[in-house]
Amino acid sequence: MFPEEVLEHVFSFLTSHTDRNSVSLVCKTWYEMERWCRKRVFIGNCYAVNPKVIIKRFPEVKGVELKGKPHFADFNLVPEGWGGFVWPWVVEFAKGYPWLEEIRLKRMVVSDECLEIVAKSFSKFRVLVLESCDGFSTDGLASIASHCRNLRVLDLRECEVEELSGHWLSHFPDSFTSLEVLNIACLGSEVSFSALERLVARSPKLKTLRLNRTVPLEKLSTLLQRAPQLIDFGTGSYSAEIRSDVYSSLKDAFSSCKNLKSLSGFWDVTPAYLPVVHSVCSQLTSLNLSYASTQSPELTKIRLVVLDCIEDTGLNTVSMTCKDLRELVVFPSEPFVGDAEVQLTEQGLVSVSQGCSKLQSVLYFCRQMSNSALISISKNRPNLTCFRLCIIEPTVPDYLTLEPLDVGFGSIVENCKQLTRLSMSGLLTDRVFEYIGTHAKNLDMLSIAFAGDSDLGLHHVLSGCDSLRKLEIRDCPFGDKALLANASKLEKMRSLWMSSCLVSFGACKLLGQKMPGLNVEVIDERENLNSLPEYAPVE
Amino acid sequence: MVMCSEVSSSSYHVGDHNMDGLELGLGLSIGWSQYARILTAKDFPTKQNYCSSSCFVNVAKSSSSGIKRTATDSVSPPNGNSVVGWPPVSRAHRMPCSANEIKLPTRNLISLTEQNKSKNRTVGINDCSNERNRNSDKKYRSVKVNMDGTLIGRKVDLNAHSSYEMLAQTLEEMFFQRRSSTEAAKSSRLLDETSEFVLTYEDKDGDCMLVGDVPWQMFLSSVNRLRIMKNSESNKLAPRSQENNERQRTNVV
Repeated sequence: MFPEEVLEHVFSFLTSHTDRNSVSLVCKTWYEMERWCRKRVFIGNCYAVNPKVIIKRFPEVKGVELKGKPHFADFNLVPEGWGGFVWPWVVEFAKGYPWLEEIRLKRMVVSDECLEIVAKSFSKFRVLVLESCDGFSTDGLASIASHCRNLRVLDLRECEVEELSGHWLSHFPDSFTSLEVLNIACLGSEVSFSALERLVARSPKLKTLRLNRTVPLEKLSTLLQRAPQLIDFGTGSYSAEIRSDVYSSLKDAFSSCKNLKSLSGFWDVTPAYLPVVHSVCSQLTSLNLSYASTQSPELTKIRLVVLDCIEDTGLNTVSMTCKDLRELVVFPSEPFVGDAEVQLTEQGLVSVSQGCSKLQSVLYFCRQMSNSALISISKNRPNLTCFRLCIIEPTVPDYLTLEPLDVGFGSIVENCKQLTRLSMSGLLTDRVFEYIGTHAKNLDMLSIAFAGDSDLGLHHVLSGCDSLRKLEIRDCPFGDKALLANASKLEKMRSLWMSSCLVSFGACKLLGQKMPGLNVEVIDERENLNSLPEYAPVE
Repeated sequence: MVMCSEVSSSSYHVGDHNMDGLELGLGLSIGWSQYARILTAKDFPTKQNYCSSSCFVNVAKSSSSGIKRTATDSVSPPNGNSVVGWPPVSRAHRMPCSANEIKLPTRNLISLTEQNKSKNRTVGINDCSNERNRNSDKKYRSVKVNMDGTLIGRKVDLNAHSSYEMLAQTLEEMFFQRRSSTEAAKSSRLLDETSEFVLTYEDKDGDCMLVGDVPWQMFLSSVNRLRIMKNSESNKLAPRSQENNERQRTNVV
């Protein structure tokens, strides 16, 4: 048995929360040791545990990460007012963690009062990351700016903010110089440019700056000149009259950013200004052009996010030039239109899977797919870890054979043995779930929509996928039987979402009764006792 | 509706207990057909009609009251049914003025540059951002509430209330929840002039007014923020019998 000091030293190298959770299960001594030295706590489901319990167990925490609403909230499937309020947590943290430094929230409702409490309660506060959050206004941001004297990170990722004024930025005092990350890309209204410029000028450690759309192209060079040390830059609107002075000052500004690795923004692109960026392209690892309907694929990167306007030909170029590509994301430029004019098909994805040997993660929206393409992709890239395919029209079959896409997706899970995340679409029967249950042993998260024929499908997944922790299902004919038969599996998962399936209210009640460790929640706005959507968050 | 239960440390194995109560007979897939009828597509309406069939949950109906996103989000998909949340493109990639608009018209650009020359103007590039700032179109309208002696202010959604009574009740719950019932009766009747605190508001002209004098709708259109003032300070209020067309600035020092 090692003395405590040695154990503590060893534990200090453990940063992954799964490792720390495992360590705390070894014996009582290790549990005690681990809980006293855990500095960062991750709570994947804010309703899984009471904040007081966390504070009691982990007294020395410096950073907290919380997630609230289910993933499908991003697609309007969770009703307004469902929950995910961070207020009760913040109130407890203000009491129990006065030295808290970092708060990271995803899909939670954050009020201005919460932000005010955060601003005033934690004298060492450094990092605030809000991802897909809502419920606050620029007043809340002003509180943070006024009071957090040691703030390093203010990162608003795709939040919905009530924008009362652009002057909240001016609340950062002149003596405030510690900023390292500022991401305001999600704000729709203009922020005070002079305040922004002064802030950038007095932040020598600023590494990430993501502007919002209202910052015009003509002002970019001013900002870049003040921050040549940037690693991650997001432009504002990338559109302007073509003027040689603007062009050359922008080009100079970009070329002086020797450390730039990531570019994003590019709203409303004026193509003539794109070459300005070419000088930094060779050093980029990430390029997000998902707001730009003009696509230039001749850029080397590790992570590429584009619109389908890139078309198959563009992706073919990517497959030939981007040999280090790890992640590909292709969003639809017109998701709600039936026939697209863009020539983006399964072929684009097949090319990239052939040419980019390091490709691990895919999110791909397209309008047609075939089993043979999926089989090719799986054989080209057995190292895939994340495969999310969305065929825009629900339940479309293999466009060549008119068969379901079971065999194609089956091939994906059979060949890609390290697959941890899978989202499927197209016409799918219970057979695909049998393949998944048999082969997808490392699968952590599965998203299903408009698929399957019966409870058998769900049963295969719940009984076969040993590592499954998150399952989200919509509009599938899965009902009570598979759910109740695999109730014990649910306890090992973080969450299960089922909406527009065939689960009855009675089964939900039964599940809640028989499994006291589960939170079973039923959301139905008709108060009907027949089939209902259900959300069952589980630790 | 939110339940927060502590995780039990003992794991619950369905297999260990008597399954009879559940009335299930599920075995492995081999033996499936003995216990359950395999349902096929014939047993259900076609998948696309899940939304409209009367005995299933109508996704479109049940989530319509919950949509908080902008109206432009509920665009019909190609098959004609309005399937909520499909395709699964998140908010950032569904913005009304999205990448479909490549360039701004030149004349707008020129006027924008000119406008930007004057300081401290909040100008939206397209109409989008202007719309978002228009309070009157919002579903919720929250105003700040501060109480004398309390450090941290709160916010209250005025559109969620239909009368002064309702508003006073909400505020009492927010600020006085810990009092005992007898104390509460004495000092928290915010609309009662004789209690310890009095509810006031700052209107659009910056005057400090007593809440309750004007009709509710008129109050809604003129209130900027609320303040729960100690009764001893109430001499700072504007005279109550002020006419609307005679808005003298009674200075609140």
